[in-house]
Amino acid sequence: MNPDIETVEAEQSPGVPPVLAVRDLRKRFAETTALDGVTFEVRPHEVVGLIGENGAGKSTLLKMLVGLARPDSGTIELRGRRVKMRGIAQAGAAGIGMVFQEQSLIPNLTVAENILLGAEGPAVVGGLYRWRELRRRAQVQLDKIGSEISVDALTESLSFADRQLVEVAKVLATEERTNAEPVVLLDEPTSVLDRDETEVLFAQIERLRTRASVVFVSHRLDEVLRVSDRVYVLRNGRTVAECVPGDVDEATLRKLMIGRDLAGSHYDEERQLPAREAVRLAVRGLTVKGVCDHIDLDLHEGEVVGIAGVQGSGREELCRSLFGALASRSESVTMHGRPLNARSPRAAIASDIGYVPAERRREGMVGSMSVAENITLPHISEVCAGPLLQRRKERALAEEWIERLRIRTPSASAQLGSLSGGNQQKAVLARWLVSDSLRLLILDHPTRGLDVGAKTEVYQLIRDLTADGVSVLLMADSLEELIAMSHRVLVMKDGRVAEIIDAPAGAKPAPLRVLEGMV
Amino acid sequence: MSVTDKTGAFSRLGDGPRLTQSARRQLLLTVMPVIVLAALVAAIAIANPNFLRASSIWTVLDSAVPLMILASGAMLVILVGGIDLSVASLASMASVLVALWIPALGGWAVPVVIIVCALAGLLQGAIHVVAQVPSFLVTLGGLAVWSGVALLASGASTIPVSGTTLDWTFTRVGAWNVPSAVLIAAALVAVFALVLAFTPVRRWLISIGSSEPAALMAGAPVTQTKIAAFVVSAACAGFAGIMLVGRTFSGAPTLADSLLLPVVAAIVVGGTAITGGFGGIGRTIVGVLIITVLRVGLSVAGVDSSYEQIFYGVLVIAAVAMTIDRSKLPFVK
Amino acid sequence: MAPARLGLAPPETGRAPGSPRPSRRPDRATILADFGPLGALVLLCLLFGFLSPQFATWGNVRNVLDSASVLAVIAVGLTFVLLLGAIDLSIEGVMATAALSVALLVANSRNDLDFGFMGVLAAVAIGAGFGLASGLLSTGLKIPSFMTTLGMSAIGIGIATVLFGGVQPALRSPELAEWASGQWFGLTRLTYVAVAVVLIGILVQRYTRLGRYARAIGGAEELALLSGIPVRRYKTLAFTFAGATYGLAGVMVTTQLGSGIVQAGVGQNFAAITAAVVGGTLLSGGRGGVLHSIVGVLIVTVLVNGLVLIGVSPYVQGAVQGVIVVAAVVITAWPLRKRLRVVK
Repeated sequence: MNPDIETVEAEQSPGVPPVLAVRDLRKRFAETTALDGVTFEVRPHEVVGLIGENGAGKSTLLKMLVGLARPDSGTIELRGRRVKMRGIAQAGAAGIGMVFQEQSLIPNLTVAENILLGAEGPAVVGGLYRWRELRRRAQVQLDKIGSEISVDALTESLSFADRQLVEVAKVLATEERTNAEPVVLLDEPTSVLDRDETEVLFAQIERLRTRASVVFVSHRLDEVLRVSDRVYVLRNGRTVAECVPGDVDEATLRKLMIGRDLAGSHYDEERQLPAREAVRLAVRGLTVKGVCDHIDLDLHEGEVVGIAGVQGSGREELCRSLFGALASRSESVTMHGRPLNARSPRAAIASDIGYVPAERRREGMVGSMSVAENITLPHISEVCAGPLLQRRKERALAEEWIERLRIRTPSASAQLGSLSGGNQQKAVLARWLVSDSLRLLILDHPTRGLDVGAKTEVYQLIRDLTADGVSVLLMADSLEELIAMSHRVLVMKDGRVAEIIDAPAGAKPAPLRVLEGMV
Repeated sequence: MSVTDKTGAFSRLGDGPRLTQSARRQLLLTVMPVIVLAALVAAIAIANPNFLRASSIWTVLDSAVPLMILASGAMLVILVGGIDLSVASLASMASVLVALWIPALGGWAVPVVIIVCALAGLLQGAIHVVAQVPSFLVTLGGLAVWSGVALLASGASTIPVSGTTLDWTFTRVGAWNVPSAVLIAAALVAVFALVLAFTPVRRWLISIGSSEPAALMAGAPVTQTKIAAFVVSAACAGFAGIMLVGRTFSGAPTLADSLLLPVVAAIVVGGTAITGGFGGIGRTIVGVLIITVLRVGLSVAGVDSSYEQIFYGVLVIAAVAMTIDRSKLPFVK
Repeated sequence: MAPARLGLAPPETGRAPGSPRPSRRPDRATILADFGPLGALVLLCLLFGFLSPQFATWGNVRNVLDSASVLAVIAVGLTFVLLLGAIDLSIEGVMATAALSVALLVANSRNDLDFGFMGVLAAVAIGAGFGLASGLLSTGLKIPSFMTTLGMSAIGIGIATVLFGGVQPALRSPELAEWASGQWFGLTRLTYVAVAVVLIGILVQRYTRLGRYARAIGGAEELALLSGIPVRRYKTLAFTFAGATYGLAGVMVTTQLGSGIVQAGVGQNFAAITAAVVGGTLLSGGRGGVLHSIVGVLIVTVLVNGLVLIGVSPYVQGAVQGVIVVAAVVITAWPLRKRLRVVK
């Protein structure tokens, strides 16, 4: 047992050897630590819950368990044998399978084919399909979970919940191959199920327990408490607690997820000025088909509104549609009382809106172009005389911002892709600041992947901007960061605004308070 | 979280070393074509010293002109990451149209045909961008359509051009006997070079070709730039068709059809990546010269011209294999 | 997609991002995709039957089936490549080389070789070799298939030109000629060859790993890879199979013409792509199949035949196909449009 783990209920492991034992897994991506010592174990016929905030390391951990990522250090033991997974197929052969949130079934194949894909065994002899055998073997798997789905159905014709069951059956199919009970990883399995479907799934998990071990990952704490025998809490890439549901409640779990109040001074809360009276952006009834449902939002001048919500809550889509990157309908969206028609990002930029995307490398920057070229890309007319580029002016402007934001780069003409993440992000921010007319900046996880120093600089910049009257819509991984930076927090759940919480300087709400509305 | 996200993490991990790799790749793509060209010229000059005489140099350059004009335009489409397979067929159509219209319109036939071709490009570009259909497919369909138009308009026969209307495309000027076509092509290339160097156009082309989502999110005029690339490509094809009519004194529905592969070969051999985002007019000049000199070299070496197609085929595959940016293609279809 | 030009488009698998509650796929759309082309074929036949008295005669039906046979054989092979989500532009080149090879390997006017049906087999094998090369180059060097096959087509035409050498080899093999002109039950023997190839195609598609995995790869390549399917091997195999059918098609054209020419496959590549697409075998991969493509082949052939019968210039055939294929792809791609979707 890892001494670092704060064991809420000192549950001593009974004599049963674990099916799956993970010890001290560590993983660093380029500049961030994704896993910083994760230790947990799953015993036979046990349902283990795994919870943690966004970015706590849940998904990295799951990836490692099915071989989609490799740990830098630490071990994974399956039935007492140390294993190194090299991919889903190999993990399946070892008896560990994952039910993906975005499902991993091939839509245009039949259910039977999907269940046995790549592991048909005697159902394919000499390259020839024996359909009867294939159907029979697939039926065996579906019978295990008591499902009535037809093995001949085309996978894409099934409902989401049914496809999830097919995935479970697919994982169970490893049972015959390994002659052992499989470990089933369920990644946020209830996130897109309705209440009835969720109940069906829970019944299914109970049934699974008789022939498998289950790891249940969810951010819905009530569900985790209901189905799990034990719960592990992940925080900042570490297992910080192991609990037994009977002994803890949701509030305790939430506290464990967020940790002690770390609110450091690097948010510069005292620099948060009150927002101005004038409304800058007024959104009424914004609807993105299937994702956001009649969102209302007022954003004042100089105000930061943080949007909290779990994945799938619709907050990304809300922001993207305001920037014109996603089609939406609305009763009205106005900037300074005038209708805002953001048909495209280009139109939004012309209306003085800026956007810093979460996926910096894909959407935020052109890595093969220079720092200067990236900085001037959205407002290239500022450095043009008529149709002609004024390179000297461009260079001067870029150098000015490189200096003001202290972007560490060999020169303005260095390729942006060659800089560190923090400096890339500052360049991406700079491209919106070069325009004096910037009125609204949408920040989609602006500090993702940055080290502490770079994060602090981004926070400083947000404070400077709001002092100048720029309005900011902010999304962040950590609630602590979101609350510290925002004047108000808009909590979204299932595509709707759940509540709006004031967060004035000096009277910030507790992260727990916000989390309650999210999950 | 999707399965794709999960696998995506791998590519993100590889970012560090890839950058130096991409720098090395870019250097290679810049230096290699020039070395190849120099080596080819040297080899031919050794085999046949007459090759370096002014007169034969002018002849070689002259013969490169239609390819150069076609490649200049098609390069823009490749730069944004698409491809235009219709250029050769458009040039053929232009040759037929100009031959048919010169009797009625005289010299005005030239701009009219170029405009008609540009409109054809506009149609292709608009379908590609608005309906979001892959460019190779739209232009493959275009290839068939424009061939059909050329066949129909010409009745599947060669249409002779008499008179002096197009003489300016195929004559010699000045004390040095410079072919007029070379001067025209040089002027066109100069326009391309100036526009790319002094306006934001190159910025847009490169950003779209390297990272279209980033270009979109930065508000670059993605739709307009992509459509414009197709328009210019088609207009250049039309102009190249007219230049060909000047040489053969006739228009024919399949006159330029065999040029498609040399055009693509020239662009990629010059170092422009078929995946987009990297390349330019200078590289295209080098590529066109390589293809042209190679053709001369083959005949100097006594290789039968029937082998030419095989060479183009091998060359295109080899050049694409060497210049392609595989980091941009997680799954190659 | 991309991707690569086709592949670049994000794979439309699972649920679209941003639709939390995926509804059941409307069955109406599937029915339309499966039976729409058949309906179009019937309508087309009725239309031409109405417009031209010659259309619905037995002689013309035989004509249509006869001229559809070559295209059908090509379409069977192409279907497997399209199922992958790849494309094959090498058909004209492969057919040219196969045509010249067979013409020079059986009894002919140019040389003294006479391998008989072994020559036919050799030509089919040469076609398969081209397909193998396209497949290996696409998967091994990671080059988009439209680029490799474009190059392979040029190579094929080049080889055929070299083999042609300025003198057209005429067939002097009565047995082979019999296959083109001889009839069984009122239809030429080549029609039965085509039917046999179609049947083989259906069996391969339904009962072999090649057929099932090609569909899986086209459906979601990354998922197929994650499931442990040797994607590269099956892609290469699909190209090889397709190459063999093009080789056979080249042989068929040669027996019909009675001599081997470089232009044996001219126009067939585009006609085959058009046929596959209008039949419902989508270029994005994973959809349709051999039967879909065959319905498409009949549509294209009936259209060409009917247009000629009602007096439309044969020169517009290609143009009509061009418009049809782009229109068909636009219609299928239209609902997938998104503001930030990247299509190259």
